[in-house]
Amino acid sequence: MNLLTSLAIGVLFAAGIYQILRRNLIRAAIGLVLLSNAVNLFLFNVGAYNGTEAAYTTALSQISDPLPQALVLTAIVISAGGFAFVLSLLYVISTRYKTSDSDEVKGLKN
Amino acid sequence: MTAWFLLLPLLIPFGGVPLTLALRKRRRVQSALALGLMLTSLAFTIGLLRTVLTTDLPVTVRMGSWLPPFGITLTADPLGVFMVLMSQIVLSAGLIYSLGSTEKVVQYPTFYPLFLALATGLTGAFLTGDLFNLFVFAEIIVISGAVLTAIADDTYGVEAAYKYFYISTLASVLFLLGIGSLYVAHGTLNLADLADRIASNPSAPLTMAGMAFLTATFLIKSAAFPFHFWQPDFHAAAPTPVSAMLSSLVVKVGVYGFLRMTTLLFVEGAELLKTLLIIVGVAGVIYGGFGAAGTHNVKRMLAYSTLAQIGFILVGIGWGTPLSLAAALVFTFNHALVKAAMLMLAGAMASRAPVKSAAFDVVVGVGKNSPAAGILFLLGGMALAGIPPLNGFISKLMIFWSGVEAAQYVPLLIIGIASILTLTYVIRSFVKIWFEPNPKAKEKAGDHLLAPALLIALSLLIGIWAEPLVSFSQITAAWLGDPAFYIAAILR
Repeated sequence: MNLLTSLAIGVLFAAGIYQILRRNLIRAAIGLVLLSNAVNLFLFNVGAYNGTEAAYTTALSQISDPLPQALVLTAIVISAGGFAFVLSLLYVISTRYKTSDSDEVKGLKN
Repeated sequence: MTAWFLLLPLLIPFGGVPLTLALRKRRRVQSALALGLMLTSLAFTIGLLRTVLTTDLPVTVRMGSWLPPFGITLTADPLGVFMVLMSQIVLSAGLIYSLGSTEKVVQYPTFYPLFLALATGLTGAFLTGDLFNLFVFAEIIVISGAVLTAIADDTYGVEAAYKYFYISTLASVLFLLGIGSLYVAHGTLNLADLADRIASNPSAPLTMAGMAFLTATFLIKSAAFPFHFWQPDFHAAAPTPVSAMLSSLVVKVGVYGFLRMTTLLFVEGAELLKTLLIIVGVAGVIYGGFGAAGTHNVKRMLAYSTLAQIGFILVGIGWGTPLSLAAALVFTFNHALVKAAMLMLAGAMASRAPVKSAAFDVVVGVGKNSPAAGILFLLGGMALAGIPPLNGFISKLMIFWSGVEAAQYVPLLIIGIASILTLTYVIRSFVKIWFEPNPKAKEKAGDHLLAPALLIALSLLIGIWAEPLVSFSQITAAWLGDPAFYIAAILR
């Protein structure tokens, strides 16, 4: 199970990084969401430890640590708000520049 | 009672966000209230400063009475108070500028609430004693800064905001990875506790990874070379009062992060990080200097200049001696005052130009009708270049002196030569705006000059009477040199 989750997180990261490097702005935004979900899963797995002792080093039995779950909850809320903002910016950009190609959005270059 | 001195500078702007939002129909009341709240908050920060300096102990407040390291502690040690004081002085000046601004964006109903949210984020980031809490406040800064830029009068504001937000989201992904790595390795997020555990077990797996992720995060946050590519666009397109805050304060969050990393979290293993900071800083000084000299827009020029000045600060942190840390702190404070004033003056000139723009071929000759702004711009430029009797001279003198003391002659020589570039670009822009003739420039009412005048007056005062700032920064540097005392004071 540990191997499976770490592989899944790795694949999500790879897909996210591949997407954010693309020229299409919408795909890049989706890449951002994949990345933030990958990192949230990573944080979540920080707490669910499958060893003899939990990540919290003073715990004696095998328990899941609640703190990373609280962290993930906060991070999810922040990334959801951030993604909504990115999408609204993309809406304005695509109506103003009539394109979703990041190379065409270059008003600041001049 | 002392707890309130710590809580109020944070809670007043935070409470001001919904309050000013509720008053959005009454613009005058809203703006006056925002300024009033910011000044009250500044007064409490000065009270906090007095408390910390007289008791010689950090003020801590445990949220919900949870004992550290389990709960979130808000902590005001001299470094935090230093940064908060700097932020709140400049933020107050930014609000004064907004009151007298002719830009449309200050009429926007959510301008003042967002500005106060920016103030909350900055104050909180410097006062928190918890790594994840720092992340949350950094996100508040990013979101409010990006929205304030997206609503700018400049049509390219949206593009600049998108660029910034995109890069900052990547930075927060890296920040979370760093937090997760350090949590796996050491099982705590309280800065003092984390520093204690890293010191006792520096080779725990993922510690290095956490350090690398945090380094990448703060390099993006401080817009240091080579992570600066979004910064000139962003700072030039933002509305003037906002770009003054972004270029003087928001980049300092990264500087603060590096100060905490090298003097608290990774004291033992910081050699690699310090070398990296010197390299990045020197490269930033050179690149920022040439970038500023070669650009065609006053605000862009000042944004590139920020890149160079952050370079000086990072070099000071990289040397890491008590004197160079004090020099970096003095530089941080002076740069915030001067850069905010210069950007406000550039924006004020742009508002007087025939077309509202800060490009050199538009603002050329505009200054002829406002000689007072010219004197302020010249004084600010002298402060940036480090000419006495302005505060920039004190900062550069301390940096160079600490470099001689640390026997770091190669970086010292390079930044010494590169700092001459500052003089070139400042003089060039001054001559262009105030001395070149332009038949199209007409007398036109623009932004009020009170806020930059106040900041320049403060710079002049510090340049003449530097003793309080220098001794405060030396006290702070002495604190930074003794992390064990900080850890004991928080965890006791």
